[in-house]
Amino acid sequence: MEHAIGLSLKGAICLLIIPTITLAQGTGVGSNTNPAQNASPADRSARGNSQPVFDINRFRPTPSDTFETFHVTDTRPLRDALRAGTIQEDTPVLVTETAAGRLALLTDQMVYHHIAQGRAGNKDWMATF
Amino acid sequence: MIPTIDGKPHRFIVGGLYDGVFVAQDIETKTLWNHVTGEALHGPLAGRHLPVSNLLQMNVKQALAMDPEVRVAISTRPFVSGARRSQLANPNADLNDRFMSTMGPEDTRRPRMELGLGVWTGTTHRFYPLERIRQRGEAFVDEIDGRKLLVYIDPEAATPAALFVNAGGAKAVGKEIRLDTGDVVRSGVLMDPRGRRRNVDSPQQLFTRWYGFALTFPGCDVFGG
Repeated sequence: MEHAIGLSLKGAICLLIIPTITLAQGTGVGSNTNPAQNASPADRSARGNSQPVFDINRFRPTPSDTFETFHVTDTRPLRDALRAGTIQEDTPVLVTETAAGRLALLTDQMVYHHIAQGRAGNKDWMATF
Repeated sequence: MIPTIDGKPHRFIVGGLYDGVFVAQDIETKTLWNHVTGEALHGPLAGRHLPVSNLLQMNVKQALAMDPEVRVAISTRPFVSGARRSQLANPNADLNDRFMSTMGPEDTRRPRMELGLGVWTGTTHRFYPLERIRQRGEAFVDEIDGRKLLVYIDPEAATPAALFVNAGGAKAVGKEIRLDTGDVVRSGVLMDPRGRRRNVDSPQQLFTRWYGFALTFPGCDVFGG
């Protein structure tokens, strides 16, 4: 099922299979990262975490061939893709930070992939949408 | 998000649906992960967290304004080049049975499918209904954890966003968001009164349906009560 998520504004809207979009508009990567940590559900409860316990009975697996993670092995300057006419100025993109600099992913493609992974600057990265 | 656990990279796929949103799954351990918070929900790594950061949503023009050196990765999937202006949302869209069967107890303070901006910090989770951002002139300054937060609808991308500022008020004027300090947000870039770019700190945020945010952050604040 796809939800048409968007605004009766000027557009720039994407279709989403998931109705949540991680975003920040334009100006920088959010600073609040969570360091990887060991914490059991009981530990989280003891810290006052209000997240309910995961109910596996409500989980619905997705057939393995439904979506395909985008394994990124090749990138090019965004301005080159614009000059070549591959994309336009108003093409929606999602920008993530990698160890080698910022990387744009096409929103239209991420609606299908949902997950992109790659390695840059000798470090792995992942974007989910 | 950094897909490295105990120094080893993990490969992730779409695992399925839970609470009406997709959850990721790593191939190595089959653990299910919340793709928004980076929390391992179920499986051998339950309770672990992946480091997360914002994924910036904008258009190509804004991306180049932010960083002329930004690169792009394009997959083999077909895509529409240019804005998808004809795809207007249906704010009254409904969830089908497959989604509904994954839902936990819902928070009924807002309509299930209402769109809004969800913002969270380590201590605060707040939902800004889109209609209330509009009612406030599409740009205003709120406060979160003692810091001033600009909440606005970007005039070019037409999406809501939030960033920390040192200002008491803001208003949308044409394609700009003008702060009462003289700073301006233009093409997604925060500029000082002399037109120089400022560094920006943005909280984690989601452009989301109400149910997705409320189930991810139970008991969250709602802007405007």
